[in-house]
Amino acid sequence: MNVKKMLMIPLIGLGLIASPYIGQAQKSKMIQIKGSDTMVNLVQILAEEYMAKNPGTPIAVLGGGSSTGISAIINQTCDIANHSREWRQKEIDLAWEKGVKPRVFVIAVDCLSIIVNEKNTVEKLTIAELGAIYRGEIKNWKAVGGPDNAVSLYGRQANSGTYVFMQEHVLGNKNYSTDMMEMIGNAQIIEGILVDEGGIGYVGVGYLFDKDGKIRRGLKVLNIAKDDKSPAFSPLDKAAVDRGDYPVARPLYQATTGKPSAAVAAFIAFEIGPEGQRIVEREGFFTIATKDKEQNERNMR
Amino acid sequence: MSIDPLKKILVFLFFILLALTTARLGMAQQTFTTTIYFDYATFLTKEGPITSAARNNFFAFRRAYFTYENRIGERLRFRFRYDADNVSNITAVDFKKQSTSRDGKLRPYMKHLYFELADFLIKNTRLRVGMADTLTWKPAEDKWNYRSVAKTLVDIFRDVTGESIDATSADLGIWYAGALNKYARWAFMISNGSHYTRIEDDKYKKLMGQLHLVPIAGLSLIGYIDYEKQDATASAYTYKLEGYFEMVKNLSVGAEYFVYDNDLKMTQTEEKYNVSGFSVFGNYIVSRDILALFARYDNYEPNNRVGNDKVNLVIAGVDWAPWGTTVKLQPNVWFYDYEDSAKKNDVVFQFTFFLSF
Repeated sequence: MNVKKMLMIPLIGLGLIASPYIGQAQKSKMIQIKGSDTMVNLVQILAEEYMAKNPGTPIAVLGGGSSTGISAIINQTCDIANHSREWRQKEIDLAWEKGVKPRVFVIAVDCLSIIVNEKNTVEKLTIAELGAIYRGEIKNWKAVGGPDNAVSLYGRQANSGTYVFMQEHVLGNKNYSTDMMEMIGNAQIIEGILVDEGGIGYVGVGYLFDKDGKIRRGLKVLNIAKDDKSPAFSPLDKAAVDRGDYPVARPLYQATTGKPSAAVAAFIAFEIGPEGQRIVEREGFFTIATKDKEQNERNMR
Repeated sequence: MSIDPLKKILVFLFFILLALTTARLGMAQQTFTTTIYFDYATFLTKEGPITSAARNNFFAFRRAYFTYENRIGERLRFRFRYDADNVSNITAVDFKKQSTSRDGKLRPYMKHLYFELADFLIKNTRLRVGMADTLTWKPAEDKWNYRSVAKTLVDIFRDVTGESIDATSADLGIWYAGALNKYARWAFMISNGSHYTRIEDDKYKKLMGQLHLVPIAGLSLIGYIDYEKQDATASAYTYKLEGYFEMVKNLSVGAEYFVYDNDLKMTQTEEKYNVSGFSVFGNYIVSRDILALFARYDNYEPNNRVGNDKVNLVIAGVDWAPWGTTVKLQPNVWFYDYEDSAKKNDVVFQFTFFLSF
């Protein structure tokens, strides 16, 4: 048997393995979404409602954190990344190296609610006080007008966009206290606070409500002030959030690997359109501002 | 007892980082990962330098990595990696004779042990101290993406030609890298030059530098140089150029060319000679996370003063993950073509199993 014939045997084998997938890859229309745990429930509901009206477009939504989603876009292993923080410089650089020119859309606004156990007498905090608490500089609730009780810190893991957002906007880019318990999701933070009278945590507004649409029993949502001289606002006060008075609000983003495909563009258009924004509001988040709508439209083109 | 400056710096930085680590263990995030490659190989020819061997149709574990990573804080990370193969498995070290002994068993040995500090002195930089990846073939290995199937050009050179190059994937030293912007990155390393498989017996240190340009999205150009003094009068350099094209979705194409120039490499007629090679490779993703095709062409020149010694190697295969990305089946074919007409071609089929969890 000569070399050419011998090479043919494994090559034919390899071809047989590959052939069923070649056609399948082209036919697949499944939209894969990965990323932010804060956004996973919201986007899952948006996807379900969209699929109910567009049964030909299956959508799979997974969590894992904002970093996971962004990484998946860079490696082109998903169609849409959910992320609750902006891209880091090293992620922008890596995407550029891999030939990915991401387009970023704002689909909702999230207010981070600062929650404590309902037995805690504290009603409001300033951003400076909140930062000092999470940096571990304030260790007892007495220092902010509360009971003589040690502060227990609940937060997210470093791959979470919420963790990064809090660090940048509340902690002044300084490190979290080493005493903070890093929980894997919003639900775990809430469970911790419910049984810990000294606990404080941060979660997306969408996680505060029970199935009847009421704030979960046992939780208290604190009002937050920009500084000593400003009034404190609740993240549940829509008018205050719309005016930009609630200081711990952030956009929720979706990124694509470039100009979105027709199927992906149609889904994003649904999310940022009137129907999608009604769902956003219904689920406890806030609708996007006019400037974000304009930016989204430019990114669609 | 005299301690050279690299050792002083290493010891100083190592203890600083160790102190930081101890202080921040409370917020550590730890991960354990394992990666294993093993193959079933069969020779499709019988008369080449490789395939004329009596051993044929065999299973072999080639590599087993066990990695522990600890994200100690926002900027600080610790990594420890055990590697195991049946080539570099030192069983004993004789410090008097400066020698080691080996056997054929698959044994673990330390590959990485380093601290990494982000944004050290300059924003957007990383500093590594300890036993860390060298710069020599890391970009090529990342872009080739099939270390499970084959080492990259410089790494595999000695295996294919028998001609040694002073290059290693990891070494004890200080590694500093950063990005100026999305268009330009840089990296430097100063290392022992002794490799991770040997005790430190190298009097002279190795210096490595790399410049990585990305002028347009998806196009990378990398220049690399290293230098190491060999003795009082001799020096060695490695020059390397790499290019990567990732502008078409699902397609990645890369090429690398290197020259190794060592004053101690002399022919029998006392003429200095160079070692060089180039490689072109690519992969195409047919179905994301399930199926990809890959291929590579290497050309090896073990001695530029000798004719008739070049080797061409073609590797082609499939990367198939039918049960998720934890287990991959990577059947592949290696075709060796020798310039020396006295040597018959070698054709080897390997069924490579890649496990990662």
